[in-house]
Amino acid sequence: MPDPVSEKAPTKAPDHDRATRRLWPALALPGTLWLIALFVVPFYAVMSVAFSGQINIFNEPLPAWNPLNWEWSTFGTVLQDSFTPSGAYHEVWVRTAIYSFWALVICVTIGYPVAYYTARLAGKRRGLILALVLAPWWINYITRMLAWVNLLQDDGYVNKVLGLVGIPAHSWLSGSSFTVVWALAYGYLPYFIIPLFASLDRIDQRLLEASRDLGIGSVRTFLHVTLPLSRLGLITALVITALPMAGDYYTNTIVSGSPNTNMVGNQIELFLLEGPQKNIGASLVLVLSLVLMFFMFYYLILTQRASREATR
Amino acid sequence: MSFDPNDPALRRRRSRPQLARRDVLRGGVWLGVGLGAAPLLAACGNDSTGGTADGSTPYPLARPDKPVKLAIKDSNPPIDDGLDPEEGGTFNILNYAQYMAPAVMKNFGKKHNVSVEVTPYNNYDEMLAKIRQPGQSFDLVFPGPSVLSKMVYAELLQPLNHSYIPHLDNVWPEFQDPWYDQGAQYTLPYTIYGTGVLYRADVVTSVPEVGYDLLWDKTYSGKVYLLDDRQEAIGMSLLRDKITDDINTSNADDIKKATDSLIELINLVKVKTDVNAYSEVPEGTATVHQCWSGDAIAGQYYLPKGQTPEVLGYWRPSPTDYVIGSDVIGIPKSAKKPVLAHLMMNDLIDNKIGLQNFGWNGYQPPINKLSAGYLVDQGYIPKNLSNAVVVRGDFDKGHTFYEVSPSTEALWQDNWARFKAGA
Repeated sequence: MPDPVSEKAPTKAPDHDRATRRLWPALALPGTLWLIALFVVPFYAVMSVAFSGQINIFNEPLPAWNPLNWEWSTFGTVLQDSFTPSGAYHEVWVRTAIYSFWALVICVTIGYPVAYYTARLAGKRRGLILALVLAPWWINYITRMLAWVNLLQDDGYVNKVLGLVGIPAHSWLSGSSFTVVWALAYGYLPYFIIPLFASLDRIDQRLLEASRDLGIGSVRTFLHVTLPLSRLGLITALVITALPMAGDYYTNTIVSGSPNTNMVGNQIELFLLEGPQKNIGASLVLVLSLVLMFFMFYYLILTQRASREATR
Repeated sequence: MSFDPNDPALRRRRSRPQLARRDVLRGGVWLGVGLGAAPLLAACGNDSTGGTADGSTPYPLARPDKPVKLAIKDSNPPIDDGLDPEEGGTFNILNYAQYMAPAVMKNFGKKHNVSVEVTPYNNYDEMLAKIRQPGQSFDLVFPGPSVLSKMVYAELLQPLNHSYIPHLDNVWPEFQDPWYDQGAQYTLPYTIYGTGVLYRADVVTSVPEVGYDLLWDKTYSGKVYLLDDRQEAIGMSLLRDKITDDINTSNADDIKKATDSLIELINLVKVKTDVNAYSEVPEGTATVHQCWSGDAIAGQYYLPKGQTPEVLGYWRPSPTDYVIGSDVIGIPKSAKKPVLAHLMMNDLIDNKIGLQNFGWNGYQPPINKLSAGYLVDQGYIPKNLSNAVVVRGDFDKGHTFYEVSPSTEALWQDNWARFKAGA
């Protein structure tokens, strides 16, 4: 006589599996809808304007929603003007790359030791240090930058403090690349520290102890164990920091205001918020997105490779 | 209601097209979410009403020597005579931020039992985007002559009924029948202003004959500012370098030469751009700033404690080189309270209310009674800044920015982008 339990089991299990199979993808639904509403649709709108060939009586490009009607001439011109040395936008791209690079160097120089100390050495003070790292986020980014404008004025506190040690006053706000780079680094440093901290915090303590047990000094342990193990976290932190930094236009506007420090975000703002050539602004947005996507893909390849190595 | 023109707390000024703090915040969001798509989406209307990219326009481009009488269509008539003012609810104004005195709005709301609300914009593009939003309704709007023809062509404004505007006689005769709207069929004048140079008189000891040369003076390096406005900056350079008298030129070579001259300023004096002359010169952040006359007048209220208006100076170009402009008031076709809108327009050109409004924002209305002498006597303007007052002859001899074709506008923007790129 067949076992009643064993008879029932085969009929219930597929239902349960089916429900489970539907449940997990369904959990992704809110995120998917969010992505479509706030990324896919706006991005397609940008493309429709960038590839528009007509304007209305208000001098605005008429969005070309149908890809068959896309005109590539404006985008092609913007692309050419961006990457040929004599191009109209070449200078702002170069400036954006240089400013972002040096700001990231500062972030690494300052942020890595802070993240390392917090993750590995802070002990009971870890919560306090993390709170201090996050403290700037309690205040609006623009407000913090505006506060720096007051501090960096010719007769501001920065010059007063420097004066106390005999350093002459400097015009920090008169279109200085130095000020812009430091302002970018200051503004985005917390974005760098937090993901790096998470990565350093996950390193298995036993690996470091094994290194020391084998007689390797702390510096070599850092260089040969900690640094390689935190490489992915470091790249994540760099990507998370570099993405908004490259499109930033308000930091340099606030602390400089000079054409000599304008970045590509300023050119985008110029074309998008006023005037008849929003298709140029939209094309610049697309070029910027392409550049950033290149780095994003590189990052994704690295993470996938790391993931494969971890499961090997 | 009593109004003390010397009360700094009451002083505000007009927010001109600029990257103001509000824009910065908004812009940061746009770039952060959707890579700048939102302002584009705002512009993605369906106005496929005949725009062309070849320089021609389907509506007339008004000029003083080619005045335009804007068409009144049967589908868009003015309101009838003798209607009662609407009561209750909200009276919606679409205007620059801080361009109308709160006391004027408050008194109007109290008198007519409505709540007056302002929806702000920072430039005409933004204004046009907001007024065109489907389902959106505004009772009053403040455009300029440079966008008027297209607004009327697109039926965004309704014609006025002058029976509700008896104060029209208060304004200068040329604004009762302006070249951009003959017969004042759609608009009334709101403010007038010129563009000169505001400087610290206690630092600048000698002003050259052409005061614009102050902007090219290395002595003030790091403290020299241009208006962050392509027409004003390039137009100034056209006049200073005597490239052409036509500040609306579509000649690519002329515009390029003027822009090249501006580009010189980047290394010569580390020039910066913004529209905050009213506060930056008084506070000493700027020593020399290209400036609208209204901001020059308002500058006296931003001086640090202990300083007097004598530390400020305003260089006014010669009458034949003076760039002057005006803003107007119109009633959107979508207005739900058109009778009240007429009454508020009438109020704004009333001698007393116009003066009250001027005392708050620094921008003068072209009202006959508000002459330079009167404003100085009444304590609204210090004597050393009385040259910032626009006088009637300025409009006869000076230069004005007109509505231009899209291709000309694009040419100016390309050159402005070249300057802004720091090339």
